[in-house]
Amino acid sequence: MDEQSDNNRLREKVWAIYDYIQDNLYLNRPDIEIKGKKFNSALLLSLLTALSQGKELIIGEPGLGKTTSAEYVCSLIYRFPLGLIWASEVAGHPEQTEEKIIGRPDLGKLNQGEEVVVWSYFTLLPVKIVDEINRLPETKQSMILDGVDRGNWEYLNDTIINDEYCLFATANYQDKGTNTIIAPMVDRFDVMVESRHPGPNLAYLIGSEETDGMTLRDREIENRFFDLLRSRISYSEMVKRSEDLCDQFGKILKDRYGIISLSSEERSKIRREKAKIEFDLDANAFLRMLITELSFCYRYGQKRSHENCHEGCHFTGYMCSSIKNCISNRLPISVGNYARAFAWLLGDENVDLEHLMVITPYALAHRIQWRDDISAQRENDARDDPLPIHMAKEALKDIHRRYMEQAQQIKNALAVAYKVMEGEEIDLIEGDHPLYWEIKRDLGKEVRI
Amino acid sequence: MKNPFFHFKSVPIKKKELPLNRIVKEKQEIMQSLIDSYIKLVEQEARDLVWLVEQSRVVRAYEYALKSIENLNYGQDDIEEFCAEMDSSQKIPYIISGPSGIFISALINRCSDDKIVLRVEDFQRTFHFLGYRLPEGKSLILQGDVGDFIGAGLSGGYLFVEGCAGNWLGAGMINGKIFVKEHVGQKTGEWMRGGEIHVDGQIQSIGRHRFGGRIFRHGKLVIPQDIKRDLWGR
Repeated sequence: MDEQSDNNRLREKVWAIYDYIQDNLYLNRPDIEIKGKKFNSALLLSLLTALSQGKELIIGEPGLGKTTSAEYVCSLIYRFPLGLIWASEVAGHPEQTEEKIIGRPDLGKLNQGEEVVVWSYFTLLPVKIVDEINRLPETKQSMILDGVDRGNWEYLNDTIINDEYCLFATANYQDKGTNTIIAPMVDRFDVMVESRHPGPNLAYLIGSEETDGMTLRDREIENRFFDLLRSRISYSEMVKRSEDLCDQFGKILKDRYGIISLSSEERSKIRREKAKIEFDLDANAFLRMLITELSFCYRYGQKRSHENCHEGCHFTGYMCSSIKNCISNRLPISVGNYARAFAWLLGDENVDLEHLMVITPYALAHRIQWRDDISAQRENDARDDPLPIHMAKEALKDIHRRYMEQAQQIKNALAVAYKVMEGEEIDLIEGDHPLYWEIKRDLGKEVRI
Repeated sequence: MKNPFFHFKSVPIKKKELPLNRIVKEKQEIMQSLIDSYIKLVEQEARDLVWLVEQSRVVRAYEYALKSIENLNYGQDDIEEFCAEMDSSQKIPYIISGPSGIFISALINRCSDDKIVLRVEDFQRTFHFLGYRLPEGKSLILQGDVGDFIGAGLSGGYLFVEGCAGNWLGAGMINGKIFVKEHVGQKTGEWMRGGEIHVDGQIQSIGRHRFGGRIFRHGKLVIPQDIKRDLWGR
C-alpha cells in the first residue's frame, strides 16, 4: 500500500471514530466551520488532542459532557475500555495527594526496607484525565505540572516517562468549591474549549435513549488490564503487553460497534505524517504577526504582566495595548501541533490561514490576560462562546484583517530580513505593524519612532 | 544566531506598489517625453538663430512637432502640466515663444480629448499660436489673455478665448469659429479664408488681406461689410 493511500485509510478511520462519537455518544451541535465542513469544537479538539499528544482543558457547566467526551475519544483512539479510563482518572478535590495522583510506596516492600514505587493508573496509562482540575487547591496543582508538561512522573527516587500520552482536564465555571488554575498550569494546556449544551432537541435524545451502562466497556478486558497494571513488571514491558490487550479490545470494538480503532503503530504513523506538514508562507507570516502583537512593547522591550502600557503609545490599537501579559513560547508549539493535526485530518498538504483561524482561538483563549477595561467592554457582547474564547476569536479576526491588508508587504519584509541577515546590503521594508519593529530588533537595528 | 527568516528565503521580493506612485511615475514619464520632443523641436528651429514668423517656418515647425509626438499618449492634464512646466520649470532650458505655441497646438490637435481647457491666466508667460490648425470636432477654451496668432490656420475647430487676444487673431484660418470675450489686437482675420470670428470687446484693426470668412463684433456682422462703419460704429 503506498504512502498516500495508507494515509487516507488512517484518515478515514479517524473520521469514522469522529462520526461514531458524534452520532452515538456525544451528541452536540457543530459550532465551527472550515472549507465547507462543520464540526463540533469540543469533539474535534478532543480528537486532535488524542491524536497529537496534546493537552486540553475542557470547560463548561456541570453535566454537559466535558469528561464523557474525553473518555469516549480516549477509549476509541487508544483502545482502552471505558472502565479502565474511569479507574485512571484523577478527580480534583482539596484532599488530593501525590500518593493518590502519581504513586505511592509499596508498603510491604517498605517494611522489608526496600523503596519500591507503586505507580497510579493515571501515571501508567497514556491517556490522562483530570476531572475538575480547578477543585485542586493551587498548591496541589504544582504536583502535576511536570507530568502535564512533559509526561515525566517522579516519586521518591523513581521516574516514569510516558513516551505517548495526552491529557484532558475539565473545569467547571467558578463556584464556591473551585480554585483558580495557576498561570503556569493554564499555560501548559494547548487548547481550551467549552463543552456546550447541545440544545433541547439533542438533549431530549440523550435522555430518552436506554443504555445498559456497558457502552465501550468490557469487564474481562478491563480486569486483565488491571492485573497488568498491578503487576511488578517494568514499565516498558507493561506498555508492550498492554498493546496486546488494546488489540483485543480493538477487535471487540470492531465486532460490537463496527469501529476500526487505531493501533499504537498507526497513532505513531499519524504523528509522523502530521509532523511533515509545513505551514504555508501566509500561515507562517500570520503566526509571526500574531505572536508579535501578543509580546511586543515598544517602550519596555516586551510585554510584562506587571508593566502597564503608557498613555499615548504609538501602538495603541494593536493587541499589545489590550493585554497585560506576554504570550509564552508554548503558544506557537500548541498552534503548530494542533493546526498540523487538523490539516492532516482534512487531507491538506499545508497548514494554511483557514486552519489557523479555526485552531488558534482555542490555543489563545486561556493564555491571554486581557486588561480589565477591555474585558468589561466585551463582556456583554452578543455571543455563542464563553467570554475568553469569544474575545480570542474577535481579536484574531482583527489581526487577520490587518494581515490581509499587508500580507505581501509582511512577506516581503521577512524575505528582505532573511537576505540582510545573510549579509546582503539591502534596505529593510518599513511598516507600522510591530512585526516590522521586531524584525529590526532581530537584525540589531535601533528601534526608535 | 540562527536566521529566523529562512522560510522566506525563496520569496521573491515584490516592491509594494501604491497606485498613486504608479500614476505619478506614468505622469512623469509622459512629461519627460513631451519635454524631450519639445527640446528636439526647439533645437531644430534654433539652427537659424532667429525665428521669424513665416508661413513655411510655421508649417515646418508644426509638422516636426506632430512627428515628434506621434507615439506619445497624453491627455488634457498633461498638456496643461506641460504649459506649466514651460512657464516655470527649470526642466526646459530655453523657450522660443513661436515654436512653443506651435508645439502646444500640435499637442492639442493630436490629443484624444475633444474639449481642452487651458487656464492660461495662471501662467506668467504669454503663449502665441495657440489653436493653430485646430481641427473640426475639437474645442479649445483658453481662460485668460493670450498672445498673437491665436487660432491661426484654424481648420474647423471651436476656439473660445475668455480674455483678450493679441494681433493676427485667426490669421489664415480656413474654417471653424473663434470667440473672444474681450478685446483683440491688430490685423484680426488677416489672410482669413473661411470660418467666423466673434469678438465681444474692441477690435484694434482688421486684416486687410482676407479671402473669405466673417467677423462679428457684439454679435453683429462687421466683415464682410464697410470696415470703417463697423469699426467706429457709424
